[in-house]
Amino acid sequence: MKIDGMKWLSAFDFTTLGGTFGTMKEPAKNTFLGAGGVSAKAGFLFALSLVPTVMLALGCLEIFSHYGAIRAAHKLLTPFLKPLLGIPGLTGLALITDLQSTDAGAALSKELYDQKQITKKELVIMGAWQYSGAGLINNYFAIGSALFAALTAPVIIPLVLMFVLKFVGALFVRFVLNVVYKEDFRNEQ
Amino acid sequence: MSNNTKTAGSNNPFDIFVVGARKGFQIATNNLMPNVVMAYVIAEILNLVGAMQFIGQIFAPLMGIFGLPGEAVTVLLTSWLSSSAGTGIAVSLLAKGIINGTHATILIPAIFLIGSQLQYMGRLLGVADVPQKYWPLLMLASVINACIAMIIMRFIA
Repeated sequence: MKIDGMKWLSAFDFTTLGGTFGTMKEPAKNTFLGAGGVSAKAGFLFALSLVPTVMLALGCLEIFSHYGAIRAAHKLLTPFLKPLLGIPGLTGLALITDLQSTDAGAALSKELYDQKQITKKELVIMGAWQYSGAGLINNYFAIGSALFAALTAPVIIPLVLMFVLKFVGALFVRFVLNVVYKEDFRNEQ
Repeated sequence: MSNNTKTAGSNNPFDIFVVGARKGFQIATNNLMPNVVMAYVIAEILNLVGAMQFIGQIFAPLMGIFGLPGEAVTVLLTSWLSSSAGTGIAVSLLAKGIINGTHATILIPAIFLIGSQLQYMGRLLGVADVPQKYWPLLMLASVINACIAMIIMRFIA
């Protein structure tokens, strides 16, 4: 059957989707990824090339956490929480933990609420802080490192920007809760 | 991986590094590689059926605000489902030359600010017991964050 001019049909062909490895068109320039590879095969080789960076990044992260980066960050953040977001300083640890692990951060927030250390409204504001850019540091270095080589700005700039915007998002949510959902929290405090 | 991370009971920095590097390998093989392969294949399918060009045209005006080509919207939409997949799409668009380094720099904070929200509804909002009534509000806040990030990055990248 002649299927010329129906190139889109090849999207349903397993062999096409398997793709091709790139080739060493210019051995001086091309890495083991080659050039011109497509689909699954090209994706696999590319993903393989990311593994060392991810291992290095998480290895360093582990050392920083071990030597108290988390505790230091917790101390630095605490004074900002009450005036800025209207949530108690003791939530700092749950927020900082969220930078490393979404799941651990969520579990800590739940614990605070269950122990009645924070109100429902404070839980929602914490949720907002944690939800946008969850697991920030881990995700950025583990997943985002795939794009690091292409970035035209220093790697730290997007990280700092995202950290600041977490506060912006939480502030926005705090504002909406205070204005639109005021009635919901009347009986609290 | 909480703050009292178990470090194999050793205080030797080399051992601590190795524990982290091992986690890195787990993440790379369990999360990163399968997602990148999937993203490459999806990008190829979208390309073959011509959807990529179509999406590119439709969203060109919107993405133009952030200094991005229309196709870049696929990165953001995919990020919403999974940040690994979104990153994978960004990487494959880079490889195809549809976006360049500047575009990637504009996109990277947005990828993580709206990243994996679908997953995190269960893993974060569900676990922390945030009332469902406020979930859309939190999503809106994340989308606003991502837009602000892209506008700011436009001047830095």
